[in-house]
Amino acid sequence: MSETVPTKSLGFRLRDVLPRVLNVLAMPLLAILSAFLVGALVIWITSGQFETIFAAYGGMVRGAFLKQRGFSETLVAMTPYIFLGLGLAVGFKSGLFNIGVEGQFYIGAISAAFVGQAFTGLPTIIHLPLTLLAGALGGALWAAIPGYLKARTGAHEVINTIMLNYIAFRLVEFLISGPFKDPYATAVQTSRISPAAELWSFYAIPQRLSDPLNALFVALILGFLAWVMVRWWGGQSRADRTAGLRRRLPWLVATGVAVLSFALLPPLTRLFWPFRDEYDRLHVGLILALLTTVAVWWLMWKTTIGFELRTVGANPNAARYAGVNITRNIVLAMALSGALAGVAGTIEVLGVSICRCLPLFFSSGYGFEAIAIALLAKNNPFGILAASFLFGAMRNGADLMELNSGVSKYIISLIQALVLLFVAAPAIVRWMYRMAAPRRPEEEAPLTRGWGG
Amino acid sequence: MAATTNALPAQRTFVRGRWVTPAVIGFGLLAAWWLLNLVIGGKCDDQCVVSTLAQALRVATPIAFAALCGVICERAGVVNIGIEGQMLMAAMVAYATNLFVFQAAKDVLGPQTAGDMSRWLALLTAMASALLLAALHAVVSIKFRADQIISGTVVNILSIGVTGYFYRQFLAENLPPGPGTFPITPVPLLAQLPVIGPIVFQQKPLTYVMLFTVLALHYVLFFTRWGLRTRAVGEHPRAADTLGVNVYRTRYVNVLIGGIIAGLGGAWFTLEAVDVFNPQMTNGLGFIGLAAMIFGKWNPFGALAGALIFGLGTSVTATVSIFRPDIPSQIPQMLPYLLTIIVLTGVVGRAVPPAADGQPYEKS
Amino acid sequence: MTPVLQALGITKRFPGVLANDHVNFTLEQGEIHALLGENGAGKSTLMNILYGLYQPDEGQILVNGRPVQMNSPHDAIARGIGMVHQHFMLIPPLTVTENIMLGTESLVPATRALGGLAALDRRSAAARVRSLSRQYGLEVDPDARVETLTVGQQQRVEIIKALYRAADILILDEPTAVLTPQEADELFVIMRSMVQQGKSIIFITHKLREVFAVADRISVMRGGQMVGTVKPADATREMLAEMMVGRKVILQIDKADAHPGEVVLRVENLRVEDDRHHRTVDGVSFEVRAGEILGIAGVQGNGQTELAEALTGLRKVVGGKITLLGQDTTHAAARHLIEAGLSHVPEDRHKHGLVLSFPIRDNLILCSYYRSPFATGIALDYAAISKEAAQLVQMFDVRTPGIDTNVGSLSGGNQQKVIVARELARIVRRGATDGRAALLVANQPTRGLDVGSIEFIHRRIVEARDNGAAVLLISAELDEIMSLSDRIAVMYKGRILETLDARTATREHLGLLMAGVTKEAAHE
Repeated sequence: MSETVPTKSLGFRLRDVLPRVLNVLAMPLLAILSAFLVGALVIWITSGQFETIFAAYGGMVRGAFLKQRGFSETLVAMTPYIFLGLGLAVGFKSGLFNIGVEGQFYIGAISAAFVGQAFTGLPTIIHLPLTLLAGALGGALWAAIPGYLKARTGAHEVINTIMLNYIAFRLVEFLISGPFKDPYATAVQTSRISPAAELWSFYAIPQRLSDPLNALFVALILGFLAWVMVRWWGGQSRADRTAGLRRRLPWLVATGVAVLSFALLPPLTRLFWPFRDEYDRLHVGLILALLTTVAVWWLMWKTTIGFELRTVGANPNAARYAGVNITRNIVLAMALSGALAGVAGTIEVLGVSICRCLPLFFSSGYGFEAIAIALLAKNNPFGILAASFLFGAMRNGADLMELNSGVSKYIISLIQALVLLFVAAPAIVRWMYRMAAPRRPEEEAPLTRGWGG
Repeated sequence: MAATTNALPAQRTFVRGRWVTPAVIGFGLLAAWWLLNLVIGGKCDDQCVVSTLAQALRVATPIAFAALCGVICERAGVVNIGIEGQMLMAAMVAYATNLFVFQAAKDVLGPQTAGDMSRWLALLTAMASALLLAALHAVVSIKFRADQIISGTVVNILSIGVTGYFYRQFLAENLPPGPGTFPITPVPLLAQLPVIGPIVFQQKPLTYVMLFTVLALHYVLFFTRWGLRTRAVGEHPRAADTLGVNVYRTRYVNVLIGGIIAGLGGAWFTLEAVDVFNPQMTNGLGFIGLAAMIFGKWNPFGALAGALIFGLGTSVTATVSIFRPDIPSQIPQMLPYLLTIIVLTGVVGRAVPPAADGQPYEKS
Repeated sequence: MTPVLQALGITKRFPGVLANDHVNFTLEQGEIHALLGENGAGKSTLMNILYGLYQPDEGQILVNGRPVQMNSPHDAIARGIGMVHQHFMLIPPLTVTENIMLGTESLVPATRALGGLAALDRRSAAARVRSLSRQYGLEVDPDARVETLTVGQQQRVEIIKALYRAADILILDEPTAVLTPQEADELFVIMRSMVQQGKSIIFITHKLREVFAVADRISVMRGGQMVGTVKPADATREMLAEMMVGRKVILQIDKADAHPGEVVLRVENLRVEDDRHHRTVDGVSFEVRAGEILGIAGVQGNGQTELAEALTGLRKVVGGKITLLGQDTTHAAARHLIEAGLSHVPEDRHKHGLVLSFPIRDNLILCSYYRSPFATGIALDYAAISKEAAQLVQMFDVRTPGIDTNVGSLSGGNQQKVIVARELARIVRRGATDGRAALLVANQPTRGLDVGSIEFIHRRIVEARDNGAAVLLISAELDEIMSLSDRIAVMYKGRILETLDARTATREHLGLLMAGVTKEAAHE
């Protein structure tokens, strides 16, 4: 019997995997389709013309992908979504509904804006990580407060994080118009951050790399990535290699990659570089987002930390029984979630905003959309990439849609709310498409918990 | 020998549990208010005290409506965090109805009659719009058994989208003047009472409606058949079901009535507070209402007490900022939210929600 | 004479299960008809159909000879059928009267026109409750809140609830599960008196002793089918047991004599409070030695749950001392206890024992995920985890498609095997690595399982004892306690009244102790 118990093999067999993938994807895709169909209905009714639907959705597609810099703007828009979606997913997986990512986003943004302008003359290799860290830390601390209150007193995180959102809005407003106000700017905004703290746009990479310190920075990062990949691959295939080589190989490869990229990248990028559009805002935050996605996936599914968080989320009683520290994990989950949201705010300041600062009345509106993204992706990090792309495209295409068809871009919020509705209640989708109920509904862990804590 | 272990006299919880915490916090707030009076240098005279208290009741009105909506939903076992969205929608619909009905009718009926008519009509449409959102929440969380907190979030996002859409399409441009908000309507005789009169009985109509709703809900919940069934369904739906109580029907009706109450709360913003609408005008008061509900341990009077505390917090800080314009306005604005967190943290561990609160019921 | 209730050819299917397969059942006027069967035999399904909670896929129900269609309990109640559920259908914060009148509320006549908003007439309802409790000897305070009542009192409320609705047919679903043998006998007296006053009773149980004590006729169900109906005079225990299980049942487990070794667990004057701050464990002292099984007998709710939670680090200790293998672990956290050698089969497998949405694999390492070989640093080693899981699944005969299957989709018996496998594997590994003794706390290890799984788990527990583990077995099933334990301690109202040698303990003596009657008290 034991021989027949399947242990996970490395190679995927498409024949086995494909039906499962389709099964998993069916619900989200139907939810999106249904939301757009209902959206079309609303457009038809409010405009009174059937053709408006095509004008609107056509405009959206053109705005999101086809117009000049459309596609790269979509990628820019999706970057904060990835972080926020990941933040919510970490919370949901740990049994917490962090509805306060918006507030953590603001606190992260103001922290980064402060640290970004506080120093001049620091090299990127120090200033940029420092600024990112400040943003992450700001978000993490802001989120840890409701986490701690939840763990200690049972006060529900939904109400507390919403309250902290409002406090964050007021606090940031106060800071921007008061202590952190740029005395030289006409608009009410924080001071411009040091160029060293900026997230490089893709266009500027060759120019940035001409500074040897920056090249060293990139070389170190690439070396680290090489080290991770070799270790990962080495850990996966348990080939008969000597222990010594297994331990040394990642270091060897990493050093090689680092040295090579330090020597070759600056001249090579100067010779050939595909991003030649000066006004293209696409920046390295996207790469950071992709790396973070992998990191979050690894953390949540391949480490003891993630195992504890997920156990606390799925059944806190069983977690206690297994000796897991609930308080620490709840605070950790909120802090992680908040850190990701804080980085999203940081990226808004360091890579997206035109003024490279935090202006007053800068409204993101990201918070609620991130909930839809996380649930649409079923809290899977790679699903969040896909969902973020969709939402980024909608956000980016909305302006041209409004221009093209006269349909207010608030229709996007409506569609997003419907997406959330349909993924949150798959029974509605099944009911609409006359699908059979799933076999074992009890296998899903609950998403949120009641007030009792 | 150890016969005491199982006895828990019902008396004790009534005397100690239910009223002591609110009373302590109430007195604490009064003390804090005296301290604040020191901050502003004792400049608040009797007139100012009375108007601050009247203002507290006024501000407490929408919070109390939200809390009562929460009470009626959650007593039946449905968590409703979409109250904020229901109120926002109601606020917009009330504003739009008030404005457009007035514009259409003022030439025919004269501004006085048209104003009265449009305001009452607006109240009705506000309730209807919130009812519609409540119906959505009810269907999604009762029939389709979705996660109720997510379902409430859907309601919130949806109403942000819809109100934003309409605001941008129809309400943002320079509009003709509307009929204004409800006038202050003193209650005959009672308004003449010293102190109490000016505070409680010289208010606008929705405040009276709110106070009446508190009484009515208390009666319904604890003295009627419907109330008994509601509480049973919220505590142990299967037990209620085995005795022939229709769980779904009870929950639907309660959530829908909750929608009407939330609609009244939303109407307050544009029919009583100010004569404009803006897309963020509910400002989290719906959520604060939920905190007031938890604070009040799911009882109507407790919910009112909770709402009054928040109202008092808001009106006192408003008074303070009149006398101390040097304090940046954002700081006092943070206080109600901070207060919510503190109250929630202090109370929630000891407040036990209805046992089946938030759990979808599946008939076997 | 027409039977008062007849079920003809009842068939009920659930996804993947045929719960009732053309079942026939007849209840005569004025009889107590016992329905006997294992967990999962289909008794509860049949009763829920008779009470209108489920609708049958096929078949017909006749009340007083007339075919009826019952779509809800309301219809059943209207036809004079009342049911006392195994898990009480009472609403704890409401009063006895409110619980009883719910659904058929007494209203103040003047307000009746208000419909749902009519005012409740608590006084007249309470008066009716009082008169019913006098008539049938079911003593209870109508104004008490149900959450303040004892389990026995709550059961009386349930019975009055049925009588209040003028039920002539009463279905009692496993009513004795929560009672001492003596309380059960009192219940039988009440049942007799109800039958004499014209009621008819269906009595569901899986305890053979009880059917002989009270039933007029006995029907046996197995695997969704009705196996047969007999009179007690024509039946023997062995015969009924074989009808229930479908094969010969060994009622006693074979085990060698115990060879107690060092003291593994010592508990001194332990005091623990429950969630409502009632002292439910009040000065308990005992020892468990390596290689013996100490059984804690007692009716549910006498502090066993809190005792087990305190011993396993899940509940704060108010006073006293716990010593595990020489270490003072009175205030130790669960993780510390697990490290020190504790294995724990918890009372509620869904609440504490398993993460239902996790695969079997993850559940099998729930308490040791952070240790070698399952993790190096913070990185989990899924190759090692899968290897362990595959091994345990085979060793403990967990019936599953694979180790990636979610535990929530397994049957109760297999779920419990996953827990037992996890907990015993730790003991085995501990014994293998450093040869040290371990403690197994098994709280209700076989509740709600089928006979096959019960036997399997019982054998494993005895095996663990024979390999030198100290076992603390907590169970409300007297049979389980008597067949497994080497020594038996009886718990009553938070105290241990007496500890007996299992070889000489009698059921009657244990029963008296479970009801709080000590020898000294009995002699007075």
